[in-house]
Amino acid sequence: MAIWVIADKCTGCGLCVKACPYGAMQVQDKLAALGPRCTQCGACLEACKFEALGSDLADEPRPDLSGYRGVWVFCEVQDGALARVSLELLGQGARLAAELGQTLATVLLGEDVEGLVPELAAQGADRVYLAQDAGLAAYSTLAYTRVLSELIATHRPNILLLGATPLGRDLAPRLSRRLDLGLTADCTELAIDPVDGGLWQTRPAFGGNVMATIVTPTARPQMATVRPGVMALGPRRDGAQAEVVRHPVRLEPGDLLVRLLASQAQGQRPVDLGAARVIVAGGRGCGGPQGMELLAQLAQALGGELGGTRVAVEEGWLGQARQIGQTGVTVRPDLYIACGISGAIQHRAGCLGARYIVAINRDRRAPIFSVADYALAGDMFKIVPAMLAALKGAA
Amino acid sequence: MPGQPDSPLCVAVLVKQVPDSAEIKMDPRTGTLIREGVPAVMNPDDRLGLETALALKDSLGALVTALSMGPIQAVDVLSEALAMGADRGVLLSDRNFAGADTWATSFTLGRALERLMSQGPLDLVICGRQASDGDTAQIGPQVAEHLGWPQVTYVERLEVEGRELRAWRRLPGLVQKVLCPLPAVVTVLATPQAPRWPLVDRLLWACREAAPLEVWDAADIEAPAARTGLKGSLTRVVKTFSPKGQRVTQWLEGTAAEQSQALLAELRGHKLI
Amino acid sequence: MAPRSDPQKLLRQVMARFVREEVAPVARQVDESGRFPRELFVKLAQMHAFGLRYPVKNGGAGGNATLYCIMCEELAQGLLSLAAIAAKQCLMATNFLHRFADQEMRQRYFLPALRGELVGSFCLTEPEAGGDLGRVSTTAVKDGDGWVVSGMKTWITNAPVADFFTVLCQTDPEQGIRGLNFFFVPRGTPGVQVSPGFQTLGTRSTEISEVAFNDCRIPARFLLGQEGKGLGALLAILAEIRAMTAALALGLAKAAYQAGFQYAKERSAFGKTINQYQLIQSKIARLATDIWAAELMLYDTTAKIDAGQRPSKESMMVKYFATEVACRACDEATRILGAYGYSMEYPVQRYFRDARFLLYGGGTHEVLQTNIARELGF
Ligand SMILES: Cc1cc2nc3c(=O)[nH]c(=O)nc-3n(C[C@H](O)[C@H](O)[C@H](O)COP(=O)(O)OP(=O)(O)OC[C@H]3O[C@@H](n4cnc5c(N)ncnc54)[C@H](O)[C@@H]3O)c2cc1C
Ligand SMILES: Cc1cc2nc3c(=O)[nH]c(=O)nc-3n(C[C@H](O)[C@H](O)[C@H](O)COP(=O)(O)OP(=O)(O)OC[C@H]3O[C@@H](n4cnc5c(N)ncnc54)[C@H](O)[C@@H]3O)c2cc1C
Ligand SMILES: Cc1cc2nc3c(=O)[nH]c(=O)nc-3n(C[C@H](O)[C@H](O)[C@H](O)COP(=O)(O)OP(=O)(O)OC[C@H]3O[C@@H](n4cnc5c(N)ncnc54)[C@H](O)[C@@H]3O)c2cc1C
Repeated sequence: MAIWVIADKCTGCGLCVKACPYGAMQVQDKLAALGPRCTQCGACLEACKFEALGSDLADEPRPDLSGYRGVWVFCEVQDGALARVSLELLGQGARLAAELGQTLATVLLGEDVEGLVPELAAQGADRVYLAQDAGLAAYSTLAYTRVLSELIATHRPNILLLGATPLGRDLAPRLSRRLDLGLTADCTELAIDPVDGGLWQTRPAFGGNVMATIVTPTARPQMATVRPGVMALGPRRDGAQAEVVRHPVRLEPGDLLVRLLASQAQGQRPVDLGAARVIVAGGRGCGGPQGMELLAQLAQALGGELGGTRVAVEEGWLGQARQIGQTGVTVRPDLYIACGISGAIQHRAGCLGARYIVAINRDRRAPIFSVADYALAGDMFKIVPAMLAALKGAA
Repeated sequence: MPGQPDSPLCVAVLVKQVPDSAEIKMDPRTGTLIREGVPAVMNPDDRLGLETALALKDSLGALVTALSMGPIQAVDVLSEALAMGADRGVLLSDRNFAGADTWATSFTLGRALERLMSQGPLDLVICGRQASDGDTAQIGPQVAEHLGWPQVTYVERLEVEGRELRAWRRLPGLVQKVLCPLPAVVTVLATPQAPRWPLVDRLLWACREAAPLEVWDAADIEAPAARTGLKGSLTRVVKTFSPKGQRVTQWLEGTAAEQSQALLAELRGHKLI
Repeated sequence: MAPRSDPQKLLRQVMARFVREEVAPVARQVDESGRFPRELFVKLAQMHAFGLRYPVKNGGAGGNATLYCIMCEELAQGLLSLAAIAAKQCLMATNFLHRFADQEMRQRYFLPALRGELVGSFCLTEPEAGGDLGRVSTTAVKDGDGWVVSGMKTWITNAPVADFFTVLCQTDPEQGIRGLNFFFVPRGTPGVQVSPGFQTLGTRSTEISEVAFNDCRIPARFLLGQEGKGLGALLAILAEIRAMTAALALGLAKAAYQAGFQYAKERSAFGKTINQYQLIQSKIARLATDIWAAELMLYDTTAKIDAGQRPSKESMMVKYFATEVACRACDEATRILGAYGYSMEYPVQRYFRDARFLLYGGGTHEVLQTNIARELGF
């Protein structure tokens, strides 16, 4: 198995370099060249527009997969209620099911969870596979894997989605190995291939620096865990009915090997701005601790952290650990919202690595706008409360 | 034999070589990843895995084997593991292993662990929670399933007593203490002590011919080509792209309410909130 | 044979990470404290770094001059003081013990020094004898079955925290430099007096002071080496001392260069980022070229040392050249950073101050140039 460059077709355009997930492709002397990091994943083959890459990576013959039908969503139950991510998955699952002309089903496991069925129906489920047993009361990897794998083997779904929560990411890989299924982790986008009806699963890798689209060509169901908070809820169908399919549960002692001894709530961990996905930062424009408090509310509403400029730290509105910039910390969140910050280079240097920068400042000429993706000229004391109100309305 | 009181605890730690994320820089203008010249290093979570294992070596005299699948250059992470205190390193390297997804990776690692067990006892397998490049966090549970052993994920502290392990799992806002019989697989995301630094003398020793480092290929672990590497993979990467292109400033105008509505719509569109 | 890692690459990687994770975050604080960086010193000792140059059978790591210089270079990128202190502990402070100490001294001083439990120092310079060692006037006089050391040493790195001193003494003034010998003096020896630390421009966390030896009685075995062979023992490591100084210079130059490089890409003036101005490009191009040259010279010199040669001329050339490069790099970096190069909040000012440290040890550049010319037969 190998990939090679066909020299007289290669134009040295570099598309394959961009496409390579492993940084193994280079252009040398106007020709693409494969380095030792190549894992023959084949991503470059798709990217080349000039048929300049040869390969003997044959596509295996595809088995007949038409017997696998239906979109399934695994339901996570928290304190007796459906986890929000499960609702998001139902919304997304319904859209995929509609596009495929298949049904949407959910899998509900627990000790006494039947009461959740009407809510699942209202959220779009056509069918609920229900497995109830005392041994399923609390999540346990092995017990849940057993029940889910029995259900899948019996009913042969086409797609199975789980939340990319700690539970989902504990369960899904275990299940994928038991049933020999492909599994895509932590997806942020799902779509149907218009040609063959396969599932396009798009996910971030390299700490969010690269996006990859992944397919599962030969095994069914196609399995993915989906990042919480990214999929939109579907419309509610109050009063809708779902068919309930009960699954008998027979656990074995070997399914309950891991015992929970204690569980303890944890207080705040020390701030780690470097790892934050969303940061709301404030500067002199906050005008005082009250302004910073407003931003703290915004940060909380967005599930992010609070940071600021040196001015904000020196004024005592923020702790030193939250100073962003050349002499503070350097951050690379997905989203950086700078409020009342002029954008001095000492500050900018610390936040340029952010994927998206939003700037809110009443001075249109403030340098922060030159590095912003979204520029909002105006008073932060008007814009931020408006955002908070809109976020509250949506929730 | 495992289980006998006088035999040492035998631990395997899975370590992966990844591009150094501290050296990965973003092009400030285009917002894309600069990959040129990025050195390959040990996956940060795997340092935690090694620290967990070596703490067991300190307290119980555990024997620690580090195992990595990768190209020949990945021997560097094993040398570093030896320098930190591991007793033995095994590199799984074969052209057939290349391009593996997590299914094929866990199959290959699983076969290698089975070979280790044919040579001697094995009580515990420790993985990092997540590799900083592939980012899937799937290998630990998949290896556990391959071996048919119980798994404990997200571990921040671990104790072994007799044939049982006690682990503290760090979940959002909560720590769970669990009890699990050995043999088992754990994935770690933190350690009570920062991972130890490699020792300079062991580092140089690890680079010498006499170092306890081996390379196993597909034949050594009896891994059929159809189940390893790209061929054995059930997922395919069909496209990769930068999450976004050049920064272009977009002004959002109107009243504060209009501005904030427009902003939230944009942020939702990019799945940022 | 199964593949093995390249020890040079791996050591560099580990030390670079050590600098990034352990040194860089505290460098400013350590520098401002003006105190011996005990915590970092102990961390390096726990990594068994101080035995790097010594054979495994003697408690070392089995490295060589090249590996030693790689470590010095990487540490210097984080904090020159720490790098210099580590460099001294690996070489000048322990070398004579390693070569000449008996079993008891080895157990009591040498191995603990490698473990970071004891700090050593190296005493050549005197108020009246700097580069000119022929004028060393500290004497060691035979007295019964021991020696009595008397005299005054100055500019002694680590003296305020040192647990023992390796002291260059004159045993026979008639002999001139052939009468020079090294003696081992533990700190507790009656008559040892250490002055308060000096205030210095740079490398502020290296504590430096005077040491007076007031008729210090020591046993005969504290004479390190055969009487009359002191100068020879010094010459045996002189090329390595100079290469090490060059390695410190190279590391510092790289740190300054990196700071300037990075800043120039971020800072804009007159409508573009300053890296687009040719005058800034010229600085960067010249420094990169100089740094490359220094690197090639350095590791060519250490390869010769590791091959058992004594590259005296090369070591002087590279110490001189690399230090000049470091001074220039630090100067240019402070210019590229504009006013921020003058701010105590940015590390560049520290590089600038620290660079001067490199000018003296291993030979002043006036003396080195003179000697290079002499070796060239000029
Ligand atoms: C050696 C040195 C190191 C430094 N290191 C750092 C560092 O690491 N990090 C850092 O951040 N700074 C650092 N600085 C300081 C830096 O130069 C700037 O002074 C600082 O970043 C400016 O902070 P600011 O944006 O909060 O304040 P200002 O520059 O005063 O900007 C305030 C902005 O708020 C806007 N504003 C005011 N009211 C409102 C309102 N109601 N609504 C909306 N906008 C409003 C104004 O239009 C203005 O643009 C350093 C400086 C030096 C000299
Ligand atoms: C952009 C991109 C996206 C990808 N997405 C997917 C996907 O969605 N699904 C999928 O199945 N594959 C995917 N892969 C392939 C996947 O990265 C590889 O299979 C990889 O070998 C293991 O997965 P990981 O890096 O995510 O490891 P993780 O599962 O995150 O690693 C967890 C732990 O497992 C151990 N480990 C992992 N790899 C090795 C190794 N080679 N040697 C020793 N120990 C190891 C380490 O202890 C590590 O800390 C993707 C690859 C790329 C480049
Ligand atoms: C930070 C620091 C740490 C030190 N640590 C130690 C230590 O741990 N142990 C130790 O023993 N010493 C130490 N020293 C002392 C150092 O080794 C001496 O400074 C060095 O040997 C030069 O001696 P000097 O300063 O007395 O200069 P001098 O020798 O007095 O020279 C003064 C000037 O005259 C010039 N000059 C001298 N001779 C000639 C010549 N022949 N031709 C032309 N020009 C000449 C010199 O280049 C210089 O410019 C340290 C010095 C410093 C600054």
